[in-house]
Amino acid sequence: MQTSLYLDRGTWVHRLHPAVKLFGLFIMFWSVFWVDHPLALLPVALLMVLLAHESHSWPNFYAFRWFLILMIPPTMLEWMAVYRAGVPVVNLWFIQLSRPALLFGFGRGLKLALLLSSSILFLSTTTIEEFTASLVTFRMPHRVAFAMSLAFRLVPLFMDSALTVVQAQTLRGYNFNRGNLLERMKRYVPAVIPVFMGALRRANNMAMALEARGFGLDIAPTSFIEYRLVATDIVALIALVTIGIAYFMIYYFGFATIAPG
Amino acid sequence: MNPPATLVESAVATTSDNLREEFAVELHDVSFTYQDTSAPALRHIEICLRRGEMIGILGASGAGKSTLAKCLNRLVPAFERGQFSGVVRIHGRALDGMRVSDLSHLVGMVFQDFEAQLFSTNVALEVAFAMQQIGMPREEIAARVEPALEAVGLAGFAKRDPTTLSGGEKQRMAIAAVLALRPAVIVLDEPTTDLDPEGKAEVFTLIRRLRGQGLTLIVIEHEAEELRACDRLLVLRDGQVVAEGAPPSVMTRLELLESCGVHPPDLNRVLAMLGIRAHAASVEEAETLIRGALPLRTACFGAHPSGDGTHSQAADPLISMASELDKQEAVENSAAAAELGWAKTSGVSLSYGDLAGSDVPLAEAQQLSFAYPLGPPVLEAVNFRIAAGEFVAIVGQNGSGKTTLAKHLVGLLTPTGGEVLLEGRNRTSLSPEEIARKVGYVFQNPDHQIFASTVEEEVAFGPRNFGLSDEDIDRRVAEVLRAVNLENVRTRDPFLLSKGERQRLAVASVLVLRPRLLILDEPTTGLDYREQRGMMGLINDLNRLGVAIVIITHAPWLVAEYARRVVLMRRGRILFDGPVDAFFQQDELLRESSFRPPEVTLLARRFGFHALTPEQFVSVIRARLKS
Repeated sequence: MQTSLYLDRGTWVHRLHPAVKLFGLFIMFWSVFWVDHPLALLPVALLMVLLAHESHSWPNFYAFRWFLILMIPPTMLEWMAVYRAGVPVVNLWFIQLSRPALLFGFGRGLKLALLLSSSILFLSTTTIEEFTASLVTFRMPHRVAFAMSLAFRLVPLFMDSALTVVQAQTLRGYNFNRGNLLERMKRYVPAVIPVFMGALRRANNMAMALEARGFGLDIAPTSFIEYRLVATDIVALIALVTIGIAYFMIYYFGFATIAPG
Repeated sequence: MNPPATLVESAVATTSDNLREEFAVELHDVSFTYQDTSAPALRHIEICLRRGEMIGILGASGAGKSTLAKCLNRLVPAFERGQFSGVVRIHGRALDGMRVSDLSHLVGMVFQDFEAQLFSTNVALEVAFAMQQIGMPREEIAARVEPALEAVGLAGFAKRDPTTLSGGEKQRMAIAAVLALRPAVIVLDEPTTDLDPEGKAEVFTLIRRLRGQGLTLIVIEHEAEELRACDRLLVLRDGQVVAEGAPPSVMTRLELLESCGVHPPDLNRVLAMLGIRAHAASVEEAETLIRGALPLRTACFGAHPSGDGTHSQAADPLISMASELDKQEAVENSAAAAELGWAKTSGVSLSYGDLAGSDVPLAEAQQLSFAYPLGPPVLEAVNFRIAAGEFVAIVGQNGSGKTTLAKHLVGLLTPTGGEVLLEGRNRTSLSPEEIARKVGYVFQNPDHQIFASTVEEEVAFGPRNFGLSDEDIDRRVAEVLRAVNLENVRTRDPFLLSKGERQRLAVASVLVLRPRLLILDEPTTGLDYREQRGMMGLINDLNRLGVAIVIITHAPWLVAEYARRVVLMRRGRILFDGPVDAFFQQDELLRESSFRPPEVTLLARRFGFHALTPEQFVSVIRARLKS
């Protein structure tokens, strides 16, 4: 069973310096943060499609397709309930359907989808070693950087373990999805306890194995892989900085705002 | 503690440069008691290992083997808390006050839980991990990775994702990661627990080769057979060394080994049964000893010239008789099982109702195919059926599709082609309760299902889910706990039980639903010999009651002693499906599938007949001697 999103495709996106990729992830978050109008988010969405294509990351986007699609309608509904600007076209109790509310709600949903997409793209093209290296480049202590990147490795393993536990309890006739929300949460106890106990055991064993392999010495670890900034990285950095500045300018000068009327 | 340069130099330098002292490892009066426990895990241990010596440490689960290993790199007491006393020295240097990571370049450790040693994205990076941590230059790391992978038979795997490797491959990768560091002392804590027989042989061949390079090796194992090449063996019981010496002197103490939860070598068992007090380091040696001690004529036992041919047809009736007899008595005669007191048929009594066989198979896979999304095929047009009362072993290399096939039978996976029938009905038309009554599945790791606060609550969980009455549940729980001999711990917290007890609890939790077919995925993995015997005794008893059994296993001795039918899988296909006797005569198939026949089978061939267990072998010899 595959427990990591990384796809070893060897494209130019994969070969970018890890720090550039992490900076790229930051710029994506930065860019969508400043604007609300769906049209203003469209360039980021197109860039995402282009990068997904270039990095051959479609299998991961396909795997998350329902998350990406279903993220937008509930967000729209939620914002239509609280966004009161504009003239309501339809007024259904707590939902006011106005053009600005629609645009704002759709924009928020799109933002979330883009945040998830950029994370998928990052994890599809970045190994955990690269992730560690990128954090270290930005002056994060190696131990902290390693722990953070290891979490990306462990979460899928715990998910795998949880799946096995759920299978084992289901075979004993247990139905996890019975009752209301609170009851359902309680019903997950037979799955949570084995997973939690397993996680504790694994964490303990992992800590021992790490120490036995020299982790935590008072020296800077070396790296088997050499990460060097090349021309492509410089071009990518310039492009990312440009995008970041452009989106801040859009916000700063008030372009792409949603008119209240 | 050490400056980077020192660490790097010592790791890069050859072992001989480092070792100046007479003893590579010294333990003097070492005792350790884990926090919150009263019984010491180690008691006054005195061990000295010379440079280049290879010692094997044997003992049951909980005997103190892993604790002893952890003392060598300060995991005990620096990581594991408790009361420690005594002195540990590596190359004459006392370890007091040192950190675990300071010792990584001196003492390499391969852990039992190799899954917990995976940190990297690909195999090469995994092997490079520790070298990076001690600050080794990139060029040196690059020069060591590929040879280390070649040494463990993983050449060409450098770019593979470790999570996609089989269990055996992961373990070999963990060994490669230690080898690449070239530490002066390597400790291997049950390194072959999850390997198929051929993988096991490869690892031990590798270990012997390392020994020749001047490394000090400490190998912890449950099975004595694997440690014949050691210079010295130590047997631990309750944290104490109860036997120590060269393999011939320790491996002939069969009763001691069994009482310590160690699987004694079958060749020595054969010799002892024949009244020959000697140690056989190989099948050839055993043959020489037997021929020298007993008046065997070639007319009686036409020795096969190469020892790898098919067995004499003339011996067949005798073997069949012996085989039947031994399978009936194997467990009852086992001292270990008797000691446990729960392995006998009389101890198991379940109100199962009618388990009589019918013409309809309990489970049947028809043209079953399966592949994960976007993945290669895992099963390809598999046809498999199991009838009432059968005892089937599914064997094959790691990743051959054994577990995938078994999971289809209980509905945990949905076929991408073909179908699964349970008692003649399509599995998809059955409710979970109906499936649970027909097929039970015990996972390899019992901890994947244990959650309740008491043993009896854990067992009652299944019946409660199916809405059985309290009275019925109580009756079933009591009955099942008695059957697996856990009735004395019914109110205890399951997490405080031993691994063997937790495994039995997992069986009880499934058994309480009274399935007609019980599937057990590697039920003896991680158990010591005594626990393995106990578990197999229980499974054997259930089978005698009429419960059909399917076990997935790597252990040839277990197949030989307990199963009646073998299904051999490779790359998602069934290559062999037939009786055990016939299976162990398929030399080419066995070789191609990395499955070794038991040594006693190879020995019998040298005498021109066929046997699967020491008991069978001896009964044939005795019969021939009488005639």
